[in-house]
Amino acid sequence: MASRVSLKSKAKGGKGSKGLDEKSTAQCLKEWSTWALKKAKVVTHYGFIPLVIIIGMNSDPKPQLYQLLSPV
Amino acid sequence: MAGLVPPGTAIPADASKTAHTKADEKIDYMNLPCPIPYEEIHREALMSLKPETFEGLRFDFTKGLNQKFSLSHSVLMGPTELPSQSGETIKIPTAHYEFGANFIDPNLMLIGRMLTDGRLNARVKWDLTDNLTVKANAQLTNEPHMSHCMVNFDYKGKDYRSQFQMGNAALFGASYIQSVTPHLSLGGEVFWAGQHRKSGVGYAGRYETDKMVATGQVASTGMVALSYVQKVSEKVSLATDFMYNYMSRDVTASVGYDYILRQSRLRGKIDSNGCTAAYLEERLNMGLNFILSAEIDHKKNDYKFGFGLTVG
Repeated sequence: MASRVSLKSKAKGGKGSKGLDEKSTAQCLKEWSTWALKKAKVVTHYGFIPLVIIIGMNSDPKPQLYQLLSPV
Repeated sequence: MAGLVPPGTAIPADASKTAHTKADEKIDYMNLPCPIPYEEIHREALMSLKPETFEGLRFDFTKGLNQKFSLSHSVLMGPTELPSQSGETIKIPTAHYEFGANFIDPNLMLIGRMLTDGRLNARVKWDLTDNLTVKANAQLTNEPHMSHCMVNFDYKGKDYRSQFQMGNAALFGASYIQSVTPHLSLGGEVFWAGQHRKSGVGYAGRYETDKMVATGQVASTGMVALSYVQKVSEKVSLATDFMYNYMSRDVTASVGYDYILRQSRLRGKIDSNGCTAAYLEERLNMGLNFILSAEIDHKKNDYKFGFGLTVG
């Protein structure tokens, strides 16, 4: 048991030093896509309703700005 | 003068009419109607048996700025249930305000709803061409890992529909439904959930005529769902639903009615779990609707009553 554990730690140490040198393209792609999705989520969260309002205010017949806020 | 037809000529006219209808009855398999989308296969039964019951006060105000664009303000005050392990229902009173913006165009539909606790419900439906539609549905929250998003690509053919969907936790699904005769349509779906490493297959069939709709759905997750809706008259329809999960041995059957009257719509149902529900929408005036909702669960001793007003 102990010998197996020591073998594992040796292999891990060896792999670790190699891993720090090169990042595979798959890893890069994953990190970039995660970053992009996180940013997209924040943008959608804050920007979706303003986007709908902008598209709506520019549709025909163009509504007036005061109509957005007045309850009538 | 045109109405006076001598009786001698009536008989051959009748014969030609029956011959014409018999020719109509021969099914043209090349011209079948387009079927209902796969996820709406139980649509009539769901409309009658699962009204959106709520508890507490609900006030909805929709203000239209023009034909396509409208804003909505919604206030909901009432207890919300928390999931609890003990089997008892724990309710916490909450109140929230929801602001919504809707843009509805023949080609593009955008619906966004923002709640006071920071949750956003967004729905987008975009018709790229006559046959291809992109739909997206997202629920975004401020809490990490609690947001969901689902994107669907639908292709509508002459007598079939196919759909491909992608969800946020590596969830993929595809479905296909085809009209087999003018009344019968059959379809199937597959899905793959990456995070839970689960996949499943399902089949569904729907038979509809002018007076009734019968649907059946089986899935490899162990779910069997059958439903039957009968349109008894213009104003009344009765629905019944049977759901059985053969993995967890869970059975639910429900029977309900749907009265669509001139000024109101009343839906009620009773369940085999000892739960009865009713939902009344009464049109008080043009654009002003009064809503009453009740759901009584005798088994869990959970009583939910709600009332509301919808303006616009």
